[in-house]
Amino acid sequence: MLKELKLTINGQPYELSIHPRTLLVEVLREQLGLTGTKRGCNEGACGACTVVMNGKSVKSCSVLALSANGAEITTVEGLAKGAELHPLQKAFLDYGAYQCGFCTAGMLMSCKGLLNMFPNPTSDQIRDGIDGNICRCTGYNSIIRAVEAVSRGDYKETK
Amino acid sequence: MSEKYSVIGKNVHRVDGTEKVTGTAKYTFDIVLPNMLYGKILRSPYTSAKIVSIDTSKAEKMEGVYAVVTAKDTIHKKQGIWRRFPELCDEEILCSTKVRYIGDPVAAVAAIDEYTAEEALNLIEVEYEPLPAVYSQLEAIKEDAPQVHDGVELNINVTRHIEWGDVDEAFKECDVIREDHFVCSSQAHMCMETHCAAASYSYDGKLTVWASTQASYYTQVLLAGMLGMREGDIRVIKPPVGGGFGGKFELDSAQFCAALLSKKICRPVRIVLTREEEFTATKRRTPIVYTSRIGAKKDGTILAKEIRGITDGGAYTGMGATALYLTGFFSSFPYKYPNYRYDGYRAYTNTEPTSAMRGFGAPQAVFVGEQQIDLIAKDLGIDPIEIRRINGMVPNYEVPGQAFIQSCGLHQCLDKIDNYIKGRGKLPANRGIGVAAYGFMSGGIFNWFDTPYAFSSAIVKLSIDGKVDLFTGACDIGQGSDTTLSMITAEELGVKLSDIRIHAADTAICPADLGAWGSRETLMNGNACKMAAADAKRQIIEFAAAKMGVNIVHDLDIRDGWIYLADRPERKVSYYDIVREAIRGRDGETIIGRGHYTPHRKGMISPAYSFGVQAVEVDVDPETGKMKLINVVTAHESGTVINPIGITGQLEGAIMMAGGYALCEDQPMDQGKILNPSLADYKVIRSLDMPKTEIIEVDTYEPEGPFGAKEAGEGLTNPTAGAIANAVRNAVGVTITSLPITPEKIFMAMQEKKAKEKKAK
Amino acid sequence: MIKDFEYFGPKTLNEALVLLDKYRDDYKIIAGGQSLIILLRQGLLQPENVIDIYGIKELDYIKSDGKKGLKIGALTTHREIEYSDLMKGSFKVLSEMEHLLSTPQTRNRGTIGGNISHGDPAGDPAPVLMALGANVKLASVAGERILDMEKFSVDYFETAMEHGEMLVEIELPAPPPHTGAAYTKFNIIASDMATVSVASCVTLAADDTCTDVRIALGAAAPRPMRAKAAEAILKGKKITDALLKKAGQAASEEAEPVSDISASEEYRRELVKVLTARVTKEAMSRAKAG
Repeated sequence: MLKELKLTINGQPYELSIHPRTLLVEVLREQLGLTGTKRGCNEGACGACTVVMNGKSVKSCSVLALSANGAEITTVEGLAKGAELHPLQKAFLDYGAYQCGFCTAGMLMSCKGLLNMFPNPTSDQIRDGIDGNICRCTGYNSIIRAVEAVSRGDYKETK
Repeated sequence: MSEKYSVIGKNVHRVDGTEKVTGTAKYTFDIVLPNMLYGKILRSPYTSAKIVSIDTSKAEKMEGVYAVVTAKDTIHKKQGIWRRFPELCDEEILCSTKVRYIGDPVAAVAAIDEYTAEEALNLIEVEYEPLPAVYSQLEAIKEDAPQVHDGVELNINVTRHIEWGDVDEAFKECDVIREDHFVCSSQAHMCMETHCAAASYSYDGKLTVWASTQASYYTQVLLAGMLGMREGDIRVIKPPVGGGFGGKFELDSAQFCAALLSKKICRPVRIVLTREEEFTATKRRTPIVYTSRIGAKKDGTILAKEIRGITDGGAYTGMGATALYLTGFFSSFPYKYPNYRYDGYRAYTNTEPTSAMRGFGAPQAVFVGEQQIDLIAKDLGIDPIEIRRINGMVPNYEVPGQAFIQSCGLHQCLDKIDNYIKGRGKLPANRGIGVAAYGFMSGGIFNWFDTPYAFSSAIVKLSIDGKVDLFTGACDIGQGSDTTLSMITAEELGVKLSDIRIHAADTAICPADLGAWGSRETLMNGNACKMAAADAKRQIIEFAAAKMGVNIVHDLDIRDGWIYLADRPERKVSYYDIVREAIRGRDGETIIGRGHYTPHRKGMISPAYSFGVQAVEVDVDPETGKMKLINVVTAHESGTVINPIGITGQLEGAIMMAGGYALCEDQPMDQGKILNPSLADYKVIRSLDMPKTEIIEVDTYEPEGPFGAKEAGEGLTNPTAGAIANAVRNAVGVTITSLPITPEKIFMAMQEKKAKEKKAK
Repeated sequence: MIKDFEYFGPKTLNEALVLLDKYRDDYKIIAGGQSLIILLRQGLLQPENVIDIYGIKELDYIKSDGKKGLKIGALTTHREIEYSDLMKGSFKVLSEMEHLLSTPQTRNRGTIGGNISHGDPAGDPAPVLMALGANVKLASVAGERILDMEKFSVDYFETAMEHGEMLVEIELPAPPPHTGAAYTKFNIIASDMATVSVASCVTLAADDTCTDVRIALGAAAPRPMRAKAAEAILKGKKITDALLKKAGQAASEEAEPVSDISASEEYRRELVKVLTARVTKEAMSRAKAG
């Protein structure tokens, strides 16, 4: 039996009918075509599916979509403001904080969740903040350098 | 124009950067085609069994199922990447009569969605007759072991022998000889994007495949062979790839089954392997057991080494035959062994096949070799750095009959690491620093694939406004070759990086390239791109020279968008203007530059080698054996640095992967069944576990490489496990000879040491 | 692939209890879902009805009970506990434990009630709650009952909850003066489940005699367990390093660990020995400071 689901994604409200078994990541990727969010393991271990839900980072493969009813969700597609990249995106580019890029969306959204909690995170907080995201390419340290630069205020967010 | 280069050596944004940070990059995993079906693969639950019958009728009748394929839908060929050796092409992909490991494919289904496809798999009835099986290489080579492939005696799939000098005589002259045994475990590539492919076969007999591959050319050719099609009727497109690390350059079950299903019904089919399939039914790093004997004079000169490696090949050959060879070759690195002998054996077992993985047999060789050189240094009372200086390779060294090494910065790297260690002074209790030296190839020279094409090719096409389209078969799998090759092209042509648009690894529009493995793209494809750019540049300069009316004695060059007289740079014209005029002047003919590269007469292995030395500092908890990585310092040389951010990324990523190999990544099995086929149980290093990293770049110039560059990808994976093992010995005095180096192993070894010391008192 | 189910999203405790009563033969409660969704996907659980209690706001709280004890609603997330100002004194260990639990995303979404109801013997909260002497409150349409945390965990992935019951609150008694608590977990990768974990809570008299001690072990038995033999060695005595060593030995003997891919039984016993002594020493020094 299909169930009604309402949510707001990147500021856009959606009303959908879904199977109760549907996961949030499936709604994003398969129903809405927001394929920036990836799926690396399907078991809540890799973090590639991380999105920000009501301000906090969550793994969208570990949330029933119906459980997100009424939530405000931000995905990687919602980070930039129009043509202006988010400071995290600019820093990731400058510091080479990605290689294959498959973990990048999840990594960025974990960092966004971290900045929501701590606008100027310390190195230790950054290290902890991305511990739920596996990156098989970079060895993490370039990502940490990128977020440190954002934390220092090297990149100003346009209001 | 004071700096030597305008583009290379600079910090740049990767050419695929913005699409990756904005989530707009479309991976194979993301591809949805009109009318597309979703495929799933049925796999063997047995390690070894005869297939008595397969009944797909119920699955075929299920609503939402459009096609089911088994071996009977194939042309009954066996595939392998060592095409020159038909006996090594041993993999049907869809098994006809026998399954050889848990995960061997037997059927595939295409359905309206993944749920339906998976349910349909449950309706396929396969009758198996279980057969005796064998699970380790040492068991497999026994007389009475079950045969994994009929007729392969003692299950020996491939043997390799490398020898120079007179090893037996040399050992007689040694003052100290030691023999040690080592066991290197398996490792999963653990790409973030699992293997996947989308295939679309058209009614007019053309097949297009989007594949998460490291070598779109191999995929094209191998698919043609397996489907009985002509290569030219198959187009393989490589979208952005979510990691490869050696696991994605053979034809795989997702690619083959998607293509076969699509061909059967002329509808697009996409198959994405689950993480569990990725762990159990792809390929993995080759486990090897070694016996190594090494002998030296009192002064530290090593006279001889004799090493035997037996690799667990798993069920099929794949690239495992190359790993067998390379582990033997790199066991001699990076030292000038005057006498050397390697005997390698690859044994089939009823386990997931083993193959190439970043470092390709070398990390295992270095784990063995770098521990043993530390141990013999200790026997001799010589400092570990010093013994490496005494025996280390030097520029223009010839490995007898094997390889010629031109540039080599090993000794400078040793000096840098020596300084670092001395600077650390005395360490606190239970802290230790271990060192490992290594070298690696810049692509292989061997052509067991039997390609008639040049190993790398590139085409440069200029637009009327001077913008450049670069076509190359090179495969960017995250390592950054698209950026590196664009930088090389821009530098050679004298334009901005933003003037280049790269089109890579689409077999229909790009020239063939062997792909991203063996750390080959920078040197080999870099040379092809540089040649193509030079070809285009020559055509522009010819026109510019005429246009500018320069004296014949002057040379022209292009840099930063200006065409100028080499010795009178103030006399210049705009490149962009000249291209427009040149094309008009050529009757509108497009300016195209062509380049190709094949390493001819460069020794047996590789045209160039990179070197480095790594020091790892660890802290060991003396009560539990828990080891923490504190700092990893790497002195490294890769010739001219093309993309510095890229190299830092390669280094830090290699430490994550090789550190994981040393610490925690393993695939334990029970009777051929992998016990940890999930990311909850397969442990990888995460940000909190990642040590500090420092890189010291040592300057070298490789004559064979583009602008003097050589590899910087896989080599960096080689030293870490050996350095960590040496650091543990330095910290708490125990030698761990098997991977991974778990806290439990360290703890048990410390207990044993204590007991021995007690007894000695 | 997850088998489809009927979904219910009650917004109040009462609505939830009525649903539990109605579907008592075949339901599964989902809270944050951080463990459950994996089991659903692996097909290990195929419930007909899934009752999603995450939306019950009345079970999301941390409050002081007036006697300096704490009451934590079952649907309080790990993250809320990790950063709560109420985690002071010997309750600080709760926030430290939560910081070690899994990854930020899991802590953001997962709840403490969901975690202990899952009944994984390697879970982080249970040993700490046991060391702190926590009780849990269970509710059903028939009413409420209070259970000692020790009695709540029964076996691998099994708790004392009956059909129709759900966990609603965790109650932590006010600690006596000079009480200190500490938690440690052993693993290879920081975010991982425990290979072995130990929580210890020590109360000292004015002369530093140990008047009370509670030691709890995680991943050392089919359920989180008290190390009572170890406690007996320390209770009523002035704790010395020698006594701690003996207590460690006792804990190691009373533990019931198994061998698996993470560690052998023998090594797990060694870890229990070392960590029990270490963490109890830390608890003791906190008790002295407090």
